[in-house]
Amino acid sequence: MSAPVQSRQRILDRIRTATLSVAKDASQLADVYAALPRDYIRRGKLSAEARLALMIERLREYDAEVVESTPAALPASIAARLALSGKHTFVVPHGLPAEWLAAGFDWKIDHELTTAEIEQAEGVVTAAFCGVADSGTIVLHHSPAEGRRVLTLLPDWHLCILRASQVVETLPEYFNRCQQPPALATYISGPSATADIEMTRIKGVHGPRFLHVILVRDQGARPTMN
Amino acid sequence: MSHATSTHPVLDPLFAPPFPQAALPMLRNPQLRKNVGHAIDVIQAKRAKLVVEKTDWQQLRSTGSAIRAHALENLGAYLEEFETRCTAAGGTVHWAADAAEARQIILDLLRKENAGEVIKIKTMTSAEIQLNPFLQAAGVNVFETDLAEIILQLGEEEPSHIVVPALHINRSQVREIFARSMGLKDLSDDPHALTAAARTYLRQKFLTIPTAISGANFLIAETGGVAVVESEGNGRMCLTLPRTMITLAGIEKVVPRFQDLEVMLQVLARSATGERMNPYTSLWTGVTPGDGPQRFHVVLLDNGRSSILTRPKQRQTLKCIRCAACMNACPVYRQTGGHAYGSVYPGPIGAILTPQLMQMHHAQSLPFASSLCGACYEVCPVKINIPEVLLELRAQVVNQERSQFARFVDPMYLGLRIANLLFAKAWSFHAAQFMGRIGLRFFTRKDGWIHSLPSIGAKWTQTRDLRGLPSQTFHGWWAARGPKSSKEAK
Repeated sequence: MSAPVQSRQRILDRIRTATLSVAKDASQLADVYAALPRDYIRRGKLSAEARLALMIERLREYDAEVVESTPAALPASIAARLALSGKHTFVVPHGLPAEWLAAGFDWKIDHELTTAEIEQAEGVVTAAFCGVADSGTIVLHHSPAEGRRVLTLLPDWHLCILRASQVVETLPEYFNRCQQPPALATYISGPSATADIEMTRIKGVHGPRFLHVILVRDQGARPTMN
Repeated sequence: MSHATSTHPVLDPLFAPPFPQAALPMLRNPQLRKNVGHAIDVIQAKRAKLVVEKTDWQQLRSTGSAIRAHALENLGAYLEEFETRCTAAGGTVHWAADAAEARQIILDLLRKENAGEVIKIKTMTSAEIQLNPFLQAAGVNVFETDLAEIILQLGEEEPSHIVVPALHINRSQVREIFARSMGLKDLSDDPHALTAAARTYLRQKFLTIPTAISGANFLIAETGGVAVVESEGNGRMCLTLPRTMITLAGIEKVVPRFQDLEVMLQVLARSATGERMNPYTSLWTGVTPGDGPQRFHVVLLDNGRSSILTRPKQRQTLKCIRCAACMNACPVYRQTGGHAYGSVYPGPIGAILTPQLMQMHHAQSLPFASSLCGACYEVCPVKINIPEVLLELRAQVVNQERSQFARFVDPMYLGLRIANLLFAKAWSFHAAQFMGRIGLRFFTRKDGWIHSLPSIGAKWTQTRDLRGLPSQTFHGWWAARGPKSSKEAK
């Protein structure tokens, strides 16, 4: 084990020697970092309505299907989406509200489901942490209602429930909403895609090919700006 | 090493011919130039549209540049912070001084896992250290999972771009490769069908191979987390399904804080693929019980990087976030494609990165593979002044060459030394002009141009004409009519 330890020291020594004249000591580092220029747009300017409209527009540009709903009508909206999909077997994270699991479908709740069981499911239904309108991005922090990472990966069809109060306009606004950096996160901007062959955009290489979003109008339930 | 006997070209700067020589077959391959030109046009057009829409683009570039420069200036502190946090989160951090050590660390880890097969997310860093041939020779079957990387692996081709590595291969060529290696005789050349074939080919591998290798787009010092940016979902498969994950990352990939991603992610996808955001970005921190690989290793690779830190002007090379906007914008890359650069890092960034990674012992022709037009600097999302570094490296190469005896008697250097003597004194300069006028008269045609010169002069005239010397110099003209015209002015 001596060689790797030596390499660590050797690399750090080389770096230290190379940056001797510019590196800050630990006590100054935070101040120097804080003084870096940050003149880019951090807070959006759109009205709540325009922000949601932008989110929907951007999602649709990625070929995601978006419908709107209200907190009261949500279970019915979910049931309608599922019925339209023609699919029957769905996996869900264990923290998903029970009233979202519409009757008449085969629900597999993720209490340590095996990969094979998840792979066999036709779809997945999850909540989300945040939506970023500027880029049409859905953010998952993989909480109990958002599920482990594999849940939103193997099934070919993903229905994501996004509340209007979770939608921000700019990416920096999402970062402001993270009181703690997440240990796990997945940012989804449209369904899996590739343009590796002659730059032709093809949907669905490995991740879900179909992304559906229900945007729940819950404004007032939570402040939309922090 | 296996590459010595390999039949296909390996992008190894140690063995690559000089750029002008390597570029010739590319320039004579119209299919390749058409493929490259098409791909670049598509990305460039998409990028341009999205950059215009972003009203704070220049501010994002400035901050992106400042964050990366700050991280490099304090690289030691941030790497140690990353190591501490990553270890606390259940990861294991390894340090590799060079390519050989990194390869060995990874092989040892695979041996410990009894891994005979491994799935891989696209990583240019692994191509830099020639990991795949090494692992294959050691008996480990490597499966690339990015569509472009599969095309290259199955077709025994080399990457020609750092974001779209197979952009030099068109759909019918892909069809041929897939039909041959996957045994699909009736495969059509429709990109949808080709993509579906790749999906089927890989699905079982994702579900059964328990060990994966990835690169990293960003290492986050504050959290010990790693970020991987991708489009297809093959990355998420590799990051989620296996039992063991090995991430290979250059030491320069570190950013100080999680929040720095709010800048990096806004500029990266727009610059790389002309999208507002890439389909998938994954972020993970060490090991999370019940979610994803339960054994996680990071291999931090130096391999020449720390030496680049030494010179302040050249340090900016390491700010690179590998978006490839510079090669898409480069008029030279557009004509030659990536292979001419003899390195897995082609284009303008490769022209400055490769020779420096080689500590200026190889790839010295690359800093000259540029017209210095500055398009690369203009599009760079972290404001790397590539032309400035190119000039810096050119000066170093010239200094190296001057001290070699073979170069000492080289006609060009000989000529330059003579010119240096002649131009030092007015009388010798005027004498040289006089002699030149007489000498060049033999080669100057009636139209006043020199179309061909003998010997070393042919190097100039084989690609462009030279204006013949005028019959009178400015000095001569001034001496003849200067006093008269100043009197006239009064």
